[in-house]
Amino acid sequence: MDFKKFRKRSPWILHYNTGSCNGCDIEILACLAPKYDVERFGILNRGNPKQSDILLVTGPVTKRAKERLLRLYFEMPEPKVVVAVGACACSGGVFRHMYNVENGVDKVIPVDVYVPGCAARPEAIIDGIVRALEILKEKGKEVELPHWCSAQVKPPVNRVKLLDRCLEELHGRR
Amino acid sequence: MEKIVYSLFLVPWVLALAVFLLPGARFHRLRQLITFLSLPALSFLTYLIWNGHLPLQIEAPRWLKLAFTVYDYGLLFYFLYQGIKFRDFLVTVLALFQLFLLTWVLLIIPESSVPDFYVDRLSAFMFLIVSTVGTLICIYATKYMEQENLERENRFVAILLWFLGVMNLAVSVNNIEWFFALFETTTLASYILIRFRWDEVSVKNALRALWMNQIGGIAILLGLLFGIKYYGFTHFTQFLSLSGKPTIVMIPLGFLAVSALVKGAQMPFHRWLLGAMVAPTPVSAILHSATMVKIAPYLILRLSPVIKGTLLAKLLIITTGFVFVGAGLLALTQENFKKILAYSTISLLGLMMLTASMGSSMAILASLTLILFHAVVKALLFMEAGVMEKLFKAKYIEDIRRLVERAPITVAFTSIGFMSMTIVPYGIFVSKWMAIEEASNFLSHGAYVGSIIFMATGGVILALLYFKVIGVMTRKRGEFFRFQLEKVPFVYLFSTVPLVLFVIVGSIFIAKLLCLSVNPVVEAVIGTPAPIIAKGLTLITPVSELYGWQIIGAFVLLLIVPILAYFVHFTGTDRVYEYTCGEKLELNIGTYNFFCIQAVEPFVETAAVALFILTLVLGGGLV
Amino acid sequence: MSYWTAFILTLFSPVIGGFIYGLERIVRARMQGRVGPPLLQPFYDFFKLMDKRSIIIHSFHAFMGIMYLIGTWFALFVLLSGGDLLIAIFFHVLSLAFLVVGGFSVRSPYSVIGAMRELLHMVAYEPLYVLSAAALYLVTGTFQVSGILHSKHVPLIYLPLFFTAVLFSLPAILKKSPFDTAEAHQEIIGGPEIEYSGKFYEAVYTAKWIEYVYAFFFIFLFAGGNHILGALLIIFAFFFFNLLDNVTARVNFRQMVAFHWYILIPLAVINLMLIALWRS
Repeated sequence: MDFKKFRKRSPWILHYNTGSCNGCDIEILACLAPKYDVERFGILNRGNPKQSDILLVTGPVTKRAKERLLRLYFEMPEPKVVVAVGACACSGGVFRHMYNVENGVDKVIPVDVYVPGCAARPEAIIDGIVRALEILKEKGKEVELPHWCSAQVKPPVNRVKLLDRCLEELHGRR
Repeated sequence: MEKIVYSLFLVPWVLALAVFLLPGARFHRLRQLITFLSLPALSFLTYLIWNGHLPLQIEAPRWLKLAFTVYDYGLLFYFLYQGIKFRDFLVTVLALFQLFLLTWVLLIIPESSVPDFYVDRLSAFMFLIVSTVGTLICIYATKYMEQENLERENRFVAILLWFLGVMNLAVSVNNIEWFFALFETTTLASYILIRFRWDEVSVKNALRALWMNQIGGIAILLGLLFGIKYYGFTHFTQFLSLSGKPTIVMIPLGFLAVSALVKGAQMPFHRWLLGAMVAPTPVSAILHSATMVKIAPYLILRLSPVIKGTLLAKLLIITTGFVFVGAGLLALTQENFKKILAYSTISLLGLMMLTASMGSSMAILASLTLILFHAVVKALLFMEAGVMEKLFKAKYIEDIRRLVERAPITVAFTSIGFMSMTIVPYGIFVSKWMAIEEASNFLSHGAYVGSIIFMATGGVILALLYFKVIGVMTRKRGEFFRFQLEKVPFVYLFSTVPLVLFVIVGSIFIAKLLCLSVNPVVEAVIGTPAPIIAKGLTLITPVSELYGWQIIGAFVLLLIVPILAYFVHFTGTDRVYEYTCGEKLELNIGTYNFFCIQAVEPFVETAAVALFILTLVLGGGLV
Repeated sequence: MSYWTAFILTLFSPVIGGFIYGLERIVRARMQGRVGPPLLQPFYDFFKLMDKRSIIIHSFHAFMGIMYLIGTWFALFVLLSGGDLLIAIFFHVLSLAFLVVGGFSVRSPYSVIGAMRELLHMVAYEPLYVLSAAALYLVTGTFQVSGILHSKHVPLIYLPLFFTAVLFSLPAILKKSPFDTAEAHQEIIGGPEIEYSGKFYEAVYTAKWIEYVYAFFFIFLFAGGNHILGALLIIFAFFFFNLLDNVTARVNFRQMVAFHWYILIPLAVINLMLIALWRS
C-alpha cells in the first residue's frame, strides 16, 4: 500500500519562534482559529517535534535560538519539511546583519518553503503549507542534514551523537 | 498427634537453642545448616497435622497451667523492669496495670475442664504460613546478618526461630489466659528484635512497640475478666458456642477485637510497626508477614462466627476499612522504601480484618486468601528491600532510581511483589474481588456500603503507590547494551525464589488452591465451606466467574512480556534524546511524593481514634 | 454475547473507535463554528504515521507503547466477552499500567509528570467504576456483562444519579477537558505519550480509540437489556461530553480528584444506598 498520499492529508505542525516579534505567530494561530480553520485539511498543532511533519519557524534565529532550533529539527522524524514564515525567518528581515541574529532560518537548517510578509498573512501561510505538502509528499525517509554539516550518517542513526557532532561544527563555524 | 503438635513448638525452640549455643564466626556454616533444617522439619510436621484428623483438642498437663501463670508474672515483671530501666512512664504503668489485672483474673478464674489446646484447620493454616514463610525468612536472616554483624548472628537467628515456635503455640491455644501470655511473648519478641541494634532510635522504637502492644494485652485481660463475669468463659471454644444466640453481651468480644486491632497495628496504634524498620530487615520481614501481625486477623477470624452481623462487626468493618484507605494515603507521602512497605502492611491488615469481620463464607475465604498471599508477598518484598539495602545501598526511593540497569532480578522480583498486591490475576486481587462482590449483597447496611467504598478507593490508592515505586525503579538512561544479571548471593535467591514461584503458580491455579486448601479452613472457621467451584483454571463463585483464559492472558501480559522487554531491541530505529523544549538541560528527575497529603495526616489519625473508641464503646456494648 | 461476536467486535474496535474519534473532531469543530476535518481523518493520521521514520528513546519504552495497545485490546475483549464486570474494570487498570510504566521509564520530565497524572486519573475514576459494578449488580442481579445485557430491568431508571456521575467522569477516562490533566497538550504536551513517535506513537494513538469503545460500552450497560435505549444513551453521552469538552477549561489534578471523590462518589453512593434500602 502506498502510504505517501496520506502524508498530504494529515500534516501535523510544530511551531517554533526563534526570536520573532510575535506578529507571525499570531497569524499562524489565526490559521487554526475558526475563520481559516486549517483543521479542515487535517492540520493539527501538536507542539511535539516527535509527532510532527511540518516545522513552522518564525523569527530571524537569534544566536541563542539556533542551538535549540537544531535540537528540535533533529527530534523530528523524517519525512519532514521546514517552512520559514515571515520576512525575518526568510532573510533576517529588519534584523538582518545585526550582531545577534543568523539572518534567516536557512543558515541553520534546510528550508523548503519561504513565506514572505511582515507579518505573513494567514492566506500566505496556508498557501505556504499547501506548497510544503507537495514537497512533503515527494520526500524520502533519509535523514536530512544541514548544508554546512559534514557528518556522514548511515541508519540507524543515533541522533544524540549526531546532534553533538553538528553542534560542535555549528559553534566552530564562523 | 499430640506429640506432633507439641513438636511444632519444641522443634523451633530446640533449633534456636542450638543456634544460640554456637556463637562466633567459626560456626556460621553450621548455624546456617541448622536454620535450614527448620524448613523441612516444620513443613513436614505441618503436613502431618494438615492431613491428620482435625480439629484436635488436647488436654494439657496440670503443671503447664502453673508454669504459664509463673511465666506470665515473670514476663510482666520483665516489662516492668524494662520500663524502670529506661525510665519509660507508659511501659511501667501499663506493666503495673497488667499485673493488677492478671492477679484479679487469677483470683476469680473458674476451674474448667475444657481442653487447653485447640488445633483446627485455622491453626494448621497459620502453622503452614509460619513453617514455610517464617523459616525462609530465618534462612535469609543468616546471610543478612553475616553481612551485617557476624558476632551477634547466632543471637539474632535464635530469636527469630524461637519466635516461630511462640507463634505456632499462640495460634493453637484455647485458653485465653494462655493466649494472653503468648500475645505478650510476641510483644517481648518484637521488643527484643526491634532494639537489636541497640542505638538510640532502636531502643526508643522498641519501647514504643512495647507500650502499644501492652495495651493489647490489657484489652485481652479485660475481655477475659468480663468473659468470666458474664459467662464464666475462659476458652475460645466456649465463646464459639455463643454463635447464633439472639442476644449476647458483647463486652468481652469487644475487648478481644480491640486487642486484635492493636496487634494488627491499626491506626492510631500503627506507629509501633513503622518503628520496626530501624531493626535489621529480616525483623520487618518476620513481623510483617508470617508472624506477629497475623495474630490480629487470626483473632478476628476466631471470633467471626460470634460477632457476625453484630454492631461490633459493622464497626470493625468501618474502622478497618478506614485504616485500609488512610494507611494507603499516608504511604503515598513516604520516601523510605521500608516505610512504604510498612504502611501498605497496615493497610492490607485492615482489609484482612474487614473481610474477616464480614463473617460470611465468601468473605472468610477472601480473608484467608489475603492472609496467605500477603504473608508470601510481604516476606518477598522485605527480603528484596534487604537485598537492595545490602547490595545496592538503597534505602530511599531516590536511591532506587534506575535500579533496573544494575539489578534486573531484584527489580523483577520487586515488581512481581508490588503488582501482585493490586493487579488483576494475582491472589490478593482475587480476594479483593470476592470481597467486593460479597459486600454487594448487603448494600442495605451502611457498613457494607462503606466497605465497598473503602475497598474501591483503598485498592486504587495502593495501585498508585506501587506504580510510583515501580516507575522509579524501571527508569532508564538508555538501551540495554549488554544484558547482565546482578550477582545475588545464593541464600538470598534460595529464600526469595520459592516465594516468587508460589505467588505465580498459586495465582495461576487460584481456583484449585482455593477449593482444595483454603476452603476446608473456611469450613473449620464458620462451619460451612464457601460455595465456590474450580473448573480447570476457572473459578466459579455464586455470582460470577473468573475465567482461566483471563488469568492466563493477564499473566502473559504481565510476566512474560515485561521479561521479554529486556531482549526486545528495535535495532533498525533511530535513537533520540528526550524532548525538553529544545533546551540543553542536565536532567535530574525526582519523584512526586504527595506532600499535600501530609496536611490531612492529623485528620486521618483523629478520625481513626474516633472510630477506634466507637468500636470499643458501641461495638463492645459499653453503653 | 458469544465469544465470536465479542472477538469480531474487539478486532474491529480500532475502526469503530476511529470513527467515533473522527466524528468527535467534526462535532467539536462544528460546536466552535468551524468546518472540521473529514470523518476519515483519524485513519489518514494512522496511515501517515505508518510511513514515518521511527525514532525512539530506548526499546523498553517503545515496547511499552505497543504493550499498551495490546493490553487495552485485551481489556476490551474481557469486557465484551460477557465475563465479570469488575474483572474487566481491573483489566483496564492493567492496560494503563503499561502506559504508566512506559511513561516513567524515560528521563523526560513531561513524560514522568504525565505518567503520574495518569495514575491520578485512575485514582479519580476507578472507585466510581467499581461502585457502578456493584450498583449494576444490585439492579440486575448479576456481575456478568452478558447477564446485564439480557436483564429485564433498565438500570438507568434505578440509577439516575449514578449515571450522571459516570457521565461526568467520562472526560476523566478519555482524558478530555475538563479532566485532561494527564495529556494537557498545552502544558505537558501529551504527557506519557510525548516521547513516542512514528509507528510506536501509532500504537498509543490506536489504543486511545479502543478506550473510546471501552468507555461507551460502559455507558451502554446502563440500559440493561434495552439496546435501543443503550444506543440513545451512547449518542447522548457522546454529545454531552463533547459539549463539556468545549465549554470547560482544564482543572488541576487536585480539583479533579476532589470533584470525583467529594461530589461524584457521594452522589453515586446516595443512589446506591437508596436503591438498596428500597429493595431490602
